[in-house]
Amino acid sequence: MSLPLKTEFLGDRSALFSFGLKLSIFTVLTLGIYCFWMKTRLRRWYWSAIRPGGHPLEYTGEALEKLLGFLIAVVFLSFYIGVFNLILMFFSFTLLNDNFAAYAISFIAVIPILFFAQYRARRYILARTRWRGIRFGLEPAAWRYSAFAIFMWVFTIISLGALWPLMTFQLERFRTNRTWFGTARLTQGGKWYRLFPPALPAMLGLWATLALGIYGATQEYPAAIGGMLLTVPLTAVGWVHYKVAAFRYLTSQKQIGDMVALSSTPRTPRVLGIYLLGGLAISMILSAVSAIVVTAVVSVFFAAGGAESLEEMSPWLTIPLGLLGYFAIFVFWDVLMQVFIRLPLLEHYSETLEIEDPHALTRFAQRARDESVDAGGFAEALDVGAAI
Amino acid sequence: MTDDRGDANTPWGAVRANNSETVAQEPEVFVDYFDGETPTPRRVELRFEGVFLSLTPSEGTPVRWHLADLRRVPDQAGGTEKAGVVLALIDGSPQRLYIPASQPHLADAIAFASPAKSAPPPVPGMRNRLLGLSLAAVASVALILFVLIPVMADQLARFLPPDGEKALGDVTFEQIRVALDQDGGQGLRICERPAGQEALEKMTQRLAKHTSFPYPLKVHVLEYETLNAFALPGGHVVLFSGLIDAAETPEEVAAVLAHEMGHVAARDPARGALRSAGSIGVLGLVFGDFAGGTVALFLANQLIEASYSQAVETQADVYATDLMVQAGLPPEALGVFFQRLRDLHGDQEGLVQHFSTHPALGDRVQAAAEAGRLSGAQAQSPVLSGREWQELRRICP
Repeated sequence: MSLPLKTEFLGDRSALFSFGLKLSIFTVLTLGIYCFWMKTRLRRWYWSAIRPGGHPLEYTGEALEKLLGFLIAVVFLSFYIGVFNLILMFFSFTLLNDNFAAYAISFIAVIPILFFAQYRARRYILARTRWRGIRFGLEPAAWRYSAFAIFMWVFTIISLGALWPLMTFQLERFRTNRTWFGTARLTQGGKWYRLFPPALPAMLGLWATLALGIYGATQEYPAAIGGMLLTVPLTAVGWVHYKVAAFRYLTSQKQIGDMVALSSTPRTPRVLGIYLLGGLAISMILSAVSAIVVTAVVSVFFAAGGAESLEEMSPWLTIPLGLLGYFAIFVFWDVLMQVFIRLPLLEHYSETLEIEDPHALTRFAQRARDESVDAGGFAEALDVGAAI
Repeated sequence: MTDDRGDANTPWGAVRANNSETVAQEPEVFVDYFDGETPTPRRVELRFEGVFLSLTPSEGTPVRWHLADLRRVPDQAGGTEKAGVVLALIDGSPQRLYIPASQPHLADAIAFASPAKSAPPPVPGMRNRLLGLSLAAVASVALILFVLIPVMADQLARFLPPDGEKALGDVTFEQIRVALDQDGGQGLRICERPAGQEALEKMTQRLAKHTSFPYPLKVHVLEYETLNAFALPGGHVVLFSGLIDAAETPEEVAAVLAHEMGHVAARDPARGALRSAGSIGVLGLVFGDFAGGTVALFLANQLIEASYSQAVETQADVYATDLMVQAGLPPEALGVFFQRLRDLHGDQEGLVQHFSTHPALGDRVQAAAEAGRLSGAQAQSPVLSGREWQELRRICP
């Protein structure tokens, strides 16, 4: 019996802020091309911050392979989405004199690709993650995952969310049981109904909100809206609690190679605090910065151009500056999100993670490299990739 | 690792291999080494031996790394002062050496011994493959956007039954009305004061007599300052009140109406609507990834619409002048109106023109005036009486 391995976390906010800001500025200046390098370098940084047993995770993905995967995905999806939507629109108006059917089918037809893309992206990320020199891996099963996820979603929607814990558990088990650390397969233990109690507050909040909404709309009873002011925050808090509790339970029920167990103890109040304080900090910084930037830009405009109103200014000046400002706000917002929300969350989840019985790790060995052709490109193109 | 490279040039000059004196002076340093085969940490004694770094475990065979083959894993959180250094080999092998921050002099020495090697190992053939694939990708997306979708839209628009096209137009009309309403309310107000409506109907009939559309022509006036008019699928023609205000004679409005009827006759709006149904999704894919991308999406779509329409606009002008002549109206009214646009806004040259859907106005003024001279047609009777023209100008109550 050996002592459990604790996880250190080495990321600090000011380093991430200057690093993230630098990468974001490159991305804006290269009209977005650099985003593949930004994502790669940020992942390397985040991964290295997580150090189970004092040894950092390593991300070995590359920007070029991401650009390549994105290009492949865009060609495939351009054809699919462009031609498919055109034909749908045509038949929708020819047969039904309406476009509702086209929009509905167009949306439904993309859903399988969204789940497919999510699984592929996860496979790519795991294939490029190493700890102690050993690769992780995920078996190829993206279409099966997509079908299974849609199946579980249908059940969840029909049950008005009551079967959400079943979906959470089954999808996590699907992914976990196909995940490998070197030659060791991960397995998901536990029972799905154990996720039911932590889901209860969110469920009750959701149902109360739905009931008040329907009642308020049909009976024109304005007090129902007042009730929703109470139930919506309850649902949000309940939802955060569920996410935390589900992660805690599901992680603690995982095993690596049937020998090494994990333990995870994140706490809801801490996570809620990160969201609240982080949100507050972001909104304050963002409004202060926008006020300063707008004032500066406008005064420089009028001083330099001598124009009296925005309409009089040359479009050569206003259009590029407008675009640049627009992108800069998005980019700055994203950096703040990383610094005030994602980093502290990752820190909390990392520091509460332990590896039990690490001596058994010595029985595992390296696995072969997975080429993973599209390198998460479908998830990039459809914007369902991981946040970092 | 073999010794065959012998001496190596390090930043501090040539270092002789196996310099035993250097070895003897180094303190004993133990660090964690992973062999890339198992996740078992091995404590190894670390020593510089000339151009080599030797890693000696307490049991088992020692490993030697040539200094020239070392690279540092980049972008590490905590930096060297907190996290230390992760060393790897440039050939992409999964072996790793973790040198903790508690050995600062060592980390510095090793960083110094392998400068400018923090780049990840190159994947063979990646760059050429990337170049080829990028070109292929750009070409395919361009082909889909500029050839496949337009051709398919043109073909499908022909088979769109009149009822379907009318429904498409009804939906589009409502969407545009709402999209242009800056107050975000019910959409732009439709102007339909009865006396003005009557005058508009009279003008429409004068022109429509000489046409045959598969659906009734529906002319709307929307309360909107911008000087513009456009046609939608299914025989909808929209005039902004700003256009009626700017016109000085009813013939100018009639000429614009005739131009839009030219679009209706050619089914241009149906083609355009089908095209944008296909191309909007594709553009969203290409630009959507970058920082929201809504503006990029909008601008790019504008650019495409403009490149679709240049030839089509000229055709609609030709149709309009013919129609004016048939209806016994002066075709040069179109030219007069374009001249007025030019006086008001100046010719749109440069950047903004690129985003506009109409060919440079100068050419059109000339073409319309030419048509007027050639036909030599005299107005048989004005399109509206003075009183009717005043009513039309007050159609927005």
